[in-house]
Amino acid sequence: MKIFWSFARQAFQYISVYRFNFFMEFILTLVRMYGIYWVWRILYTQRPGAFGVSMEQMVTYGVMGMVLELFIWSRPQWYMANQVKSGAIDTDLMKPLDFHVHMLARSTGESLIGIGVLAIPALIIAYLFLDVQFPPDMWTALMFVVSIVLGFLVFFHLNFLLGSLAVVALDIRHISWAYFSLVRFLGGQIVPLWLFPPVVAAIAEVLPFKGTYYIPISIYIGRLAGVEAIRALEFQLVWLIVLVLVSRMLWDWAHRRLVVQGG
Amino acid sequence: MIQVRHLTKDYQRVKRREGFLGSVRTLFSADYQTTRAVDDISFNIKEGELVGYIGPNGAGKSTSIKMLCGILVPTSGEVLVNGLVPHKNRMENTRQIGAVFGQKTQLWWDVPVIESLKLFRDIYKVPEAQYKQNLTLFNELLDLHEFSSTPVRQLSLGQRLRADMAAALLHNPRLLFLDEPMIGVDVVAKEKLREFIKEIDRDQKVTILLTTHDMTDIEKVCSRIMIIDHGRIVYDGSLEQIRAEYGKQRKLVVEFEEEVPDFSAPHAALVKTEGRKKWFAFNRFETSPSTLIADISSRFPIIDLAVEEPEIEEIVRTIYRGKPELVETGIK
Amino acid sequence: MDALRLYLRLVGVSMQARLQYRADFIMGMLNVIALNAVNLGIIGILVYRFVDLNGWIVWELFFLYCLWLLGHCLYSLFFWHFWEMEEYLIQGTFDQFLLRPASPFIQFLGREVQYIGFADMLVAITGLILAYVNLDLHWSAAQWLFFPIIVISGTVIETALTLMTACIAFWTGRSDMAINMIMEFNMLVQHYPIDIFGVWFRVIVTGIIPVAFMNYYPSLMLLGKLDSNSPSAWLGYISPIVALILSVIASGVWHLALRRYSSSGG
Repeated sequence: MKIFWSFARQAFQYISVYRFNFFMEFILTLVRMYGIYWVWRILYTQRPGAFGVSMEQMVTYGVMGMVLELFIWSRPQWYMANQVKSGAIDTDLMKPLDFHVHMLARSTGESLIGIGVLAIPALIIAYLFLDVQFPPDMWTALMFVVSIVLGFLVFFHLNFLLGSLAVVALDIRHISWAYFSLVRFLGGQIVPLWLFPPVVAAIAEVLPFKGTYYIPISIYIGRLAGVEAIRALEFQLVWLIVLVLVSRMLWDWAHRRLVVQGG
Repeated sequence: MIQVRHLTKDYQRVKRREGFLGSVRTLFSADYQTTRAVDDISFNIKEGELVGYIGPNGAGKSTSIKMLCGILVPTSGEVLVNGLVPHKNRMENTRQIGAVFGQKTQLWWDVPVIESLKLFRDIYKVPEAQYKQNLTLFNELLDLHEFSSTPVRQLSLGQRLRADMAAALLHNPRLLFLDEPMIGVDVVAKEKLREFIKEIDRDQKVTILLTTHDMTDIEKVCSRIMIIDHGRIVYDGSLEQIRAEYGKQRKLVVEFEEEVPDFSAPHAALVKTEGRKKWFAFNRFETSPSTLIADISSRFPIIDLAVEEPEIEEIVRTIYRGKPELVETGIK
Repeated sequence: MDALRLYLRLVGVSMQARLQYRADFIMGMLNVIALNAVNLGIIGILVYRFVDLNGWIVWELFFLYCLWLLGHCLYSLFFWHFWEMEEYLIQGTFDQFLLRPASPFIQFLGREVQYIGFADMLVAITGLILAYVNLDLHWSAAQWLFFPIIVISGTVIETALTLMTACIAFWTGRSDMAINMIMEFNMLVQHYPIDIFGVWFRVIVTGIIPVAFMNYYPSLMLLGKLDSNSPSAWLGYISPIVALILSVIASGVWHLALRRYSSSGG
């Protein structure tokens, strides 16, 4: 637990040093929220009630997609890549702390900052100015929170896998661009899965990415409700377990290779 | 060659206020704080002089050099480089100066050295004959041909510095700035570079201003030394002068057969004891070492001794601390 | 040295330098293509489900996207390094520009070349050709002549805006965030026709950060969407003028930046 508090303190310092960055990040998110708001507004003015959702729901979906980006994003892969490059990874590995847990703690800390400093103000603005709705009931809100946590963990492990590759000296800078773009797309950040053409939809349904944006947001707007919502949470959980196992295996392998190679 | 009169440079910095509200207020009404980086300095440097320019970090060295190069505009005072005012005639001035920075190369990183040199030849409009002549000279003195087809990023530090030297001198500048050119270079390469610098100065009468933290460079290369501290020139003279003025002190290092208690010797002060060794400082104009040795050896048996000259480094350090009378440590 | 000759010479060296990194190049190209594919895919799906976006059908939207991309890729080929201005200042590269008897501006312009822009160019040209065919456009000679001017204007607009924003580093030491801001507006303008957005946004991207002139307004003219009775029809033609105005302003900002640098040392 002490680890979390020390990270929290570090986080606080981080915020004050990089306040300009945070401010800019906030403004950028507002611009993105604004953009997606108008896109869905126009589309649903043209075809109200299409696909069984209302304009308010779709606008909420889009804006939430942008807000979620602020805190389900984690960056263990960059941290790991940089540490390997600079050689500082040795100090991390010498600490009496499981590296996997270490990275998770770090990312959780960053996310919490993201929520507090960026997401909550953004949400307030979204509620006030961009017609974003509240979840239909407490039960939905609860499932939403659970879903976000699962989504965060899923995303974290996806990135952790990428970071493990970086540790064995693969240059991840180039594949990251396309990779994350694909994750956002198949994860349904801008376009919800029910709009995908059949083939793409089939692929997106089985991959873990939909657990990052699509499931939490769909639950939030009430599109996934009741049994379907529970199923969706199960889906996230199952994939999470798979990813944790794969992550640990990949990391162990990468770790061993690192030690053998001498970094 | 260089004339500097009452040169002063002030920097205005926005005073940062604490906290978030403070930053907002700063956006609207900034409070400025003036730092005087260079404070009324004056000096003349003649053509062909090899001057060492030293000072602690933040003393105003790079600021004054930037003003000589025309990169920075002085707050007051005048600068003339070969008759030109650097910041007013930037283009013209840059044709007559060259610079080597130890920390950062002037060359293009990914292409062979020779490509960078060709580019410089074009930028400085060096006539073909002169270009070829200089290349021959560099091949001879710097072994340039050994690595001229290698991209700069694959060069060793010593090679890179030699390449930078070639680039700086390609257009036969009248004035050469060397800013910490030998940082991190091994001893052998350093010696070669020093020889090269002296050769260039002898041969082409290039005026050279060398900034460095390595006193050996100064001792081996420069004839004159300027020390700047807190924006002011605190010393300007030759090496011999500095030794003469400040180098009255000598230290006698004596190693005894066994550890002996501290004692005082006539006309000398005990400044350090370490095990069986003791250091005695004395004024060489007032005390002869042989008298001192005779006195000390009459008290205790000696097995080794040496006479130390104060290192320039020590002298300079004392000048930095503003105590030019370094010698008077308990001695008349 | 004559400014243009110097520039070409510098670009030549930069190209030589860039060729050293071949593996990077391939990966970069693939990535850019994938990125564009995803973007176009998103637009495609939306229109597939909703028929059109405020009257813009799929090929018109692809045209809009690729027109922006074509102007942008020329910028990214030659001037991608603008956003590294703060590094140039910190590391002393800028001082080196000032030590040479050549325009620091030209030296800065020719500093680096990025080949990844070629992938964008491939996508853009392909997209534009396909759109032209599928929309059954028949441009007049005047439109054909105007087309390359629009593309170049787009490049100039983006270059000038980025240069001005990069110069902020001379005062505050940082410029990357401001440049990201411009990029964000660019992204929206590239993907969607600005007539779907609210008034404020349209005002910003027309009058303040005029990136809408890279693709939106010229597209109205080139796609025959211009209502010649509308009082603002002339907007479709003035991209080159906007580019010119921005260049003048950018050059002024650059001079101010240089003056600032020589008085306060950066």
